[in-house]
Amino acid sequence: MSDTAPISPVPAGRFILPAFARTTAFRLTLLSAALFAFSSFVILALVYAATVTAGVRRADNAVAQESIAIEARFRAEGVAAANRYIVQSSVAGGEFLYLLNQPSGRRLSGNISNLPSTPPDAQGRVRFTYERAPPGGQTAAEPSRAARGLISTLEGGYTLFVGIDVEDEARFVTYILNAVLIASGLAVAMGIVSGAVVSRRFSRRLDDINAAAREVMAGRLQTRAPRNFSGDELDDLASNFNDMLDRVEHLMQRMRSAGDSIAHDLRLPLTRMRGRLEAALVEAGDIADREAALAQAISDSDELLKTFNAVLSLSRLQTGERRRALEVLDPAEIIADVAELYEPVCEETGHDFALDASAGLTILADRELVAQAVANLLDNAIKYTPAGGAIMLRLRATSRGAVEISVTDTGPGIPPDERPRVLERFVRLEASRNLPGVGLGLSLVQAIAEVHGAELKLDDGPGSSSGEGTGLRIALLFPAHRA
Amino acid sequence: MRILIMEDDKQVAAFMGRGLREAGHVCDAAHDGEDGLEMARNSQYDVLVVDRMMPRRDGLSVIETLRAEGMATPILILSALGEVDDRVDGLKSGADDYLVKPYAFAELLARVEVLARRRDPGSVQTQLSVGDLEMDLLARTVRRGGEDVLLQPREFRLLEFLMRHAGQVVTRTMLLEKVWDYHFDPQTNVIDVHISRLRSKIDKPFGSTMLHTVRGAGYRLQA
Repeated sequence: MSDTAPISPVPAGRFILPAFARTTAFRLTLLSAALFAFSSFVILALVYAATVTAGVRRADNAVAQESIAIEARFRAEGVAAANRYIVQSSVAGGEFLYLLNQPSGRRLSGNISNLPSTPPDAQGRVRFTYERAPPGGQTAAEPSRAARGLISTLEGGYTLFVGIDVEDEARFVTYILNAVLIASGLAVAMGIVSGAVVSRRFSRRLDDINAAAREVMAGRLQTRAPRNFSGDELDDLASNFNDMLDRVEHLMQRMRSAGDSIAHDLRLPLTRMRGRLEAALVEAGDIADREAALAQAISDSDELLKTFNAVLSLSRLQTGERRRALEVLDPAEIIADVAELYEPVCEETGHDFALDASAGLTILADRELVAQAVANLLDNAIKYTPAGGAIMLRLRATSRGAVEISVTDTGPGIPPDERPRVLERFVRLEASRNLPGVGLGLSLVQAIAEVHGAELKLDDGPGSSSGEGTGLRIALLFPAHRA
Repeated sequence: MRILIMEDDKQVAAFMGRGLREAGHVCDAAHDGEDGLEMARNSQYDVLVVDRMMPRRDGLSVIETLRAEGMATPILILSALGEVDDRVDGLKSGADDYLVKPYAFAELLARVEVLARRRDPGSVQTQLSVGDLEMDLLARTVRRGGEDVLLQPREFRLLEFLMRHAGQVVTRTMLLEKVWDYHFDPQTNVIDVHISRLRSKIDKPFGSTMLHTVRGAGYRLQA
């Protein structure tokens, strides 16, 4: 992402949402509100349909029964009886609407003035509206009311109409319908509002984290995301984000100090080399002197190359680039080889060297890396232990079943509080500043231990041969390997 | 000797060429894999020095192609990739030796000369001799001027390597690699100590030095 990208114009016709409406939280709330509205709408629609059909059926049944009853009278006792029944029922003010017409179409009796204008269906059923005559001779027209009826033709050409008022039911249904619509609308509206509120809160907290990220990108590495310690997922995110920044900051500091150390450690040999070469150039000494200076310069540059190689291989080990297959090996063979390489050196430097290795152990290891780690430990022991001291290389199985390779010396040792530090890159304790080396040895051993899942432990040794200090015992503990 | 350098960095190639010419060799250079492949096919070289990363065709592919075509010329790979895996890949592709950048020129020269004068691998030797120093590889015995010299197994292998490359410079790194099979630099000069021990057995009692130190480079065994 380039920060100089031109701001793209919004395509025409694209509806631009306010910021809160673009958040995931808002969209989710809105979606759930819409789902709620839709589902309540469906449920209520079903209720509505059921109510309407039940009402219609009830009305039709009542009308049919009343109609059959009047027809029965008509057949048994004639038109007059039917007429009387209708008149009585009308006066009694039942729920039915009646109309009995003569064959000519003239009204004989009933409580409505004429047949509904809407055409009946095949069974003679009809839906219609009517207006009630205003009571007490008022002229104000009543609102029209919904009704259902049944038209049947009686013997002799008489027409009987029986109807029933369904206005109240219809109104009830309308209420339900309105309630449904209003509830759905309210659900959506409340969804939008609550969505906005929730997403506001949510977004504000996310914005805080994003703002912190931008601050860090702008180079203010100490910035951290605010937390509310509620332990919810956003707080968790902020916490992880902060831990990550701590780690990054720590690594950057370490890199910076490693860089400084490299520069510092390389400046000295480079300066020395330059000085020697210059001296050889200026002093018109004899050829032998110049050759000596050149040879010295070459060995100085070899030292520099060694340092660079150590830095490179340490980096590769630490970044896990070297994921080689570890083999099942006998550590006794590995350390015997290293011991054989170093034993003459100890003789030369006046150290008492001893090797003590248990046979028959196995570890999962990379032969060369383990040899390199042990060589590094022996290098250190030789470097820091005064002549006349003792160095012991030991291999044994611990009581917990781990395989331990340890190097013990009678040098000054390392004070316990400084032990964790010596494992870091380029850390050189003040005491060893004047000795050769760049402080990579132990970090390399540590990195090699990590590759093997082994643990590196620093302890007091058996005491110092010079009477000052504790000596040092460094152990590599390999996890037990069962073949 | 005729040496072909395949190295895309022209400055490095020029520096190498100059150094090798000063040491008495004839040098050609190719700056990418395709050119290098053509030159190697079309003329006879004693050693090829091949950089691993080159434009148009990488070093490993060049070596594999040449080996597939039956070329047996010794090859030294140069590479900034120095992990064991990389080295194994290089040697598997058919190279004979592997040198990790950054390297000292003395190291390169020593390795090229050792490669160029490699014994024919077809003939199995059972005897080595340099001057009045004799080694019997079957009986594992060493004599100088007819007198037995008793050596530890590792000292024997160290001397064997030096005798096989008598008259040539061998570096400390080469000895660590070929005699101990280690590819790391110990901080202590362990090799020097082993060499001086060997000297005390093959030179000191006889009053004349065969095992010489070459300043800034390594050692040379000479009659």
